[in-house]
Amino acid sequence: MKKLLSVLLAVLMVLGMAACSGSGSSAAPAPASSDTPAEPTAAEGKVLNVWTWNTEFWDFLGKYYADEVVDEYTLKKGDVTIKRTTYPSDGGAYQDALDAALLNQANAKDDEKVDLFLAEADYILKYTNSDATMDVKSIGVTDFSNTYAYTVSAASDANGVVKGVSFQCCPAAVIYRRSIAKDILGTDDPAAVQEAMKDWDAFDKLAADAKAKGYYMIPTTNATYRVYSNNATSPWVVDGKLNIDANIERWMDQSEEYVKNGYTAYTSNIWGDEATSEMFASGKSLCFFGPAWYFNFSMTNAQDPEKGCPGDWAICQGPQAWFWGGTWMLAATGTDNPTMVADIMNTFINNEEVCDALVAKEAQFSNNQKVNNKYATDPNFGSEFLGGQNPNEVFAELAKNIKFENVTQYDQLCNEGLQTYFTEFLDGQVATRDDAINNFKDYIRTTYPSVTVE
Amino acid sequence: MPKKKSISYAKWGYIFIAPFFLVYIIFTLYPQILTVYNSFFEYYRDGLTIVGPNFVGLKNYQTLFQANNAGYVPIIKFLGNTLWLWIIGAVPQFTVAMLLALFFTSTRLNIKGQQFFKTVIYMPNLIMASAFSMLFFALFSQVGPINQLLVANGWASQPINFLGMRVTVQTLIGIMNFLMWFGNTTILLMAGIQSIDEALFESARLDGSTSTQVFFHITMPLLMPIFIYVFITSMIGGIQMFDVPQVLTNGYGIPDNTSTTLIMYLNNFLGISKNYGMAGAVSVLLFVITAVLSSIVFKTINKK
Repeated sequence: MKKLLSVLLAVLMVLGMAACSGSGSSAAPAPASSDTPAEPTAAEGKVLNVWTWNTEFWDFLGKYYADEVVDEYTLKKGDVTIKRTTYPSDGGAYQDALDAALLNQANAKDDEKVDLFLAEADYILKYTNSDATMDVKSIGVTDFSNTYAYTVSAASDANGVVKGVSFQCCPAAVIYRRSIAKDILGTDDPAAVQEAMKDWDAFDKLAADAKAKGYYMIPTTNATYRVYSNNATSPWVVDGKLNIDANIERWMDQSEEYVKNGYTAYTSNIWGDEATSEMFASGKSLCFFGPAWYFNFSMTNAQDPEKGCPGDWAICQGPQAWFWGGTWMLAATGTDNPTMVADIMNTFINNEEVCDALVAKEAQFSNNQKVNNKYATDPNFGSEFLGGQNPNEVFAELAKNIKFENVTQYDQLCNEGLQTYFTEFLDGQVATRDDAINNFKDYIRTTYPSVTVE
Repeated sequence: MPKKKSISYAKWGYIFIAPFFLVYIIFTLYPQILTVYNSFFEYYRDGLTIVGPNFVGLKNYQTLFQANNAGYVPIIKFLGNTLWLWIIGAVPQFTVAMLLALFFTSTRLNIKGQQFFKTVIYMPNLIMASAFSMLFFALFSQVGPINQLLVANGWASQPINFLGMRVTVQTLIGIMNFLMWFGNTTILLMAGIQSIDEALFESARLDGSTSTQVFFHITMPLLMPIFIYVFITSMIGGIQMFDVPQVLTNGYGIPDNTSTTLIMYLNNFLGISKNYGMAGAVSVLLFVITAVLSSIVFKTINKK
């Protein structure tokens, strides 16, 4: 009896463990939709997986494409369920998770395969130049006549095969506070403000004037970083070696100067609480930098009905022309929903109704020139946030000159790393600029074994 | 006459402990061996291309000990950081834990509501380290409540950049580790003290020894095995310090890499390029360091 009992106990123990590990492994992947019919009714999958690092595009997908928003992570279009998988972009977490999923694409079940994923300019090359993405012309996205040329070349591989499309065009501008500009310059007229900051020398001079009136020119030294890095004349990595462009050096010079002179409110990360607190009405900073998506999606503090100051803003080109970011939709190789993937892409570049809504209702600068230009010349079109100013008028002009150049797949972490480590120098935590650069080089050495750092 | 067989129960012992060994081999031993194996290979990702595995011998270890442009070897600096960050948390942790354990176990003081206090001091340990770190991150940001308080009361003329300065970042990490672990240490030390025969304390008191004498001549010597255990586990935990500084410094070990710990360094290798070779080399090194330090501590404290 005793023996029997002990055998039973031992078996139970082992079983219990087997059960634990069993349930553990089956719980990991997202459960497939339970109402999938037993026999396949159509050739294409019933679940479309979309990968994103924020909800900007997902919200548009819900509003302008799907039939029904089921919940925060699920949409319905016909009998297809659209699911969202999101990881934060910071520190490469999104790329990291996406890479793992794409490398596992061949083994994943149809309903768990990545079908459509978003990528930023900073690392889009990594995906377009690999077999993980496919030729969108082959699935039915063929009409690029209305899109901006740079958005197509950015999503093309080395041989010119187009792997994706963008739903936005991202010429960027200076977004300034009207009330502060009035106080400093006596006017908030975009043309006059532009004249006062038409190049970096003028910008510096205006910064001194701002300081004299008790304001800051910029919320953080990192705010101008993208203007400089976007105008770099060489990429981050040349022939496998880390390369720091002269324009990045110029940004360092300016940042050092601005901290010394007190022209900047903070030295922090642009997304951090410090810099974004300057967007409130109580903020003392004149200039923010960014494209349409920046002021309609990332300046939520400025849009805050109580503490914000919507309407007290305006845009002008600023000291140097540049563009920033953009979100591309790429078609993942192995997708079981090619038709819907192509349909989504076509919707956001060629469906004029949708593009129209993006501009008129969402303050986007869409990737449809026809629609954008229509609004650019429409005297009745204006943004409430920008105090009635027509942003398309500015952006349509700036969009003409965008070239997608000097880009590498390593850009995101090079940009993040350089800003982080140089900020330590600005904060007085490392003695010299060289120390900061050394720390940055160590970081790149650890992060990218394939890049030679000298 | 046939020889009578004796009944052996030994096999049941093996059957009962088998599950542990099975799990240990699959989930601990095998990965450990794989780690050592990987450390001799060039094996990482460049974009979506997998490079390797190519056997490179000891090259990963050589790379690990190469001086950087500033002339120092990063991993040595990170080892120093790790030990320092552990010490500034561990010293108050052990002091306070020892005092509390003595107070709680003292039959002379006979503190009321012990159960309540034990629960309260253990509480911080139940919070996830990353959540705890995130909380401090928000509290001490330049626009966070602590700075608002300081400025509003005139204690600081402008917000203090707590998360950008070496002293404050390291202090915050020390405080967090202390808060998280002193309760745990207290409970363990209490258990150790309670296992000492009460008669020893009583007779010492009858002989007129002072509390200090009791502590150094009775409590401490008899507590030694438990104390060494707690000390070594704390040290191993310290060498493996990761989540608190990682979250507080957003993974950058700011400022000037002075709060980058060894595991954070390891984690950086495993970031976007999944560098199993270099990460393996760091792990092996970590194993050696832990083993050496643990045996040194064991030898010195355990000396009769």
